[in-house]
Amino acid sequence: MLHIYYGEMEGVINNTEVYFRNTYDPSWIVDGLAKEIILDVDRSVVLGERCIQSRVLGMIPPESLSGGTKTLLLMINDDTRIFNASTCGDNCAKWILKIAEKKDLTIRLGHIMDFGEGMFQIHVLNNDQIVTSMADLVIVAHNCLQETVV
Amino acid sequence: MKGKYFIEVYSNKLKYEMTIQRNITVIRGNSATGKTQLVNMIRDYNTFGADSGIVLNCDRNCVVVEGVEWKKRILELTDAIIFIDEGNGFVRTDEFARLINHNSNYFVLVTREKLSALPYSVKEIYGFRESNKYGGIRQVFNEAYPLFHELSVTEQASHSIIVTEDSNSGWDFFNMVAGNNQMSCISAKGKSNVLNTVIKLDKNTNTVLAVVDGSAFGSEMDDVVEYIRYHKTIALYAPESFEWMILKSGIVAVPDAILSHTCDYVDSCEHLSWERFFTQQLISVTQNTIYHYSKHKLNPAYLSQRNIDRILSVMKSLF
Repeated sequence: MLHIYYGEMEGVINNTEVYFRNTYDPSWIVDGLAKEIILDVDRSVVLGERCIQSRVLGMIPPESLSGGTKTLLLMINDDTRIFNASTCGDNCAKWILKIAEKKDLTIRLGHIMDFGEGMFQIHVLNNDQIVTSMADLVIVAHNCLQETVV
Repeated sequence: MKGKYFIEVYSNKLKYEMTIQRNITVIRGNSATGKTQLVNMIRDYNTFGADSGIVLNCDRNCVVVEGVEWKKRILELTDAIIFIDEGNGFVRTDEFARLINHNSNYFVLVTREKLSALPYSVKEIYGFRESNKYGGIRQVFNEAYPLFHELSVTEQASHSIIVTEDSNSGWDFFNMVAGNNQMSCISAKGKSNVLNTVIKLDKNTNTVLAVVDGSAFGSEMDDVVEYIRYHKTIALYAPESFEWMILKSGIVAVPDAILSHTCDYVDSCEHLSWERFFTQQLISVTQNTIYHYSKHKLNPAYLSQRNIDRILSVMKSLF
């Protein structure tokens, strides 16, 4: 199940780039789901734990993956922290839903992420509401973000 | 700082071009489109100059600001273009919003966050995409493109209600227009209330035209566009501001350059947004004339049918 908190939240990792750089394990990269994400989001092919073939940058280490992909890899592998998913573009949204199919995943968002035209189940922590479509989530998320402006 | 600045940054793998012309520019969009790569290249150039292997061409100093020393660093800089990458939570704070006010620097923020305290333009929100503009070069060229336009319509429907952002002169005008067109006009009483006002009206199956000040509506634009994507009964019109519409209409004489090259006239130290500049301009050019302008209550001289038509002509085909 995906749980989302919209707005400011204590203890969230905002700078997922830096956190990833200092905590990731190379074995994360060769996991099946990770390879799919890296191929889809970064359009890059995993060749090994520390080597990824990027269409644009050539051979790169995991540190050079996009911020969104790093955040997704943290969501998969690190259950000790809540991550700022506003570091992810809309092209990461389907992967967040996929990760949440297999476990309870809590993320923080500071914007309205587009989860697409399909149905889903998202638990909005701000008001303890379950939302099943973007048509409804847009309204709920907007109201939550209005209430939590810093 | 005033003016428009062309920035070119390239390495042997990547090339970027963009033009910055207001005090706040926002870069967002899908992951892996090169946003952080741009900031990394500017950071390398800041640290090592030409020895970095990066080429950076710009008439102003381009600087990356990040981390816990952000405030100190911004206060040290003048007339620079400051890049702030995502993950820097300080951009969401009131303290940052206050610091940007009356600041000589321009700011480029890589962020998807809803920054309600910052009055940035809908036109200065960009994404990056690969472009074949320079076919044959060895680098991948990432081109900045605007994510939003001033008019968002999903279908050419007639509208039954106009929602205005403000409750002052802009509302006075559109209330008159609504009356002339068998429509209603409601004020949202502020940009942050526009979408909630639209949502309430939409529930009663009204077709809504929302008119907002585009030069400061940027923080609300994502929410509204997402709503339009999934609820197709509203249209959004976001000209620079109502005052800009009057200046553009030709009712009062204003030098063409102020409208066509506004960036050369708006000083970031004096105006937090172009909306405030256009208001000041309109008040100034109409002082002691029959068209003297007040933001709080619209001078009836603007509400003659001829002048209504002239202002509406700026909105092209919406009426």
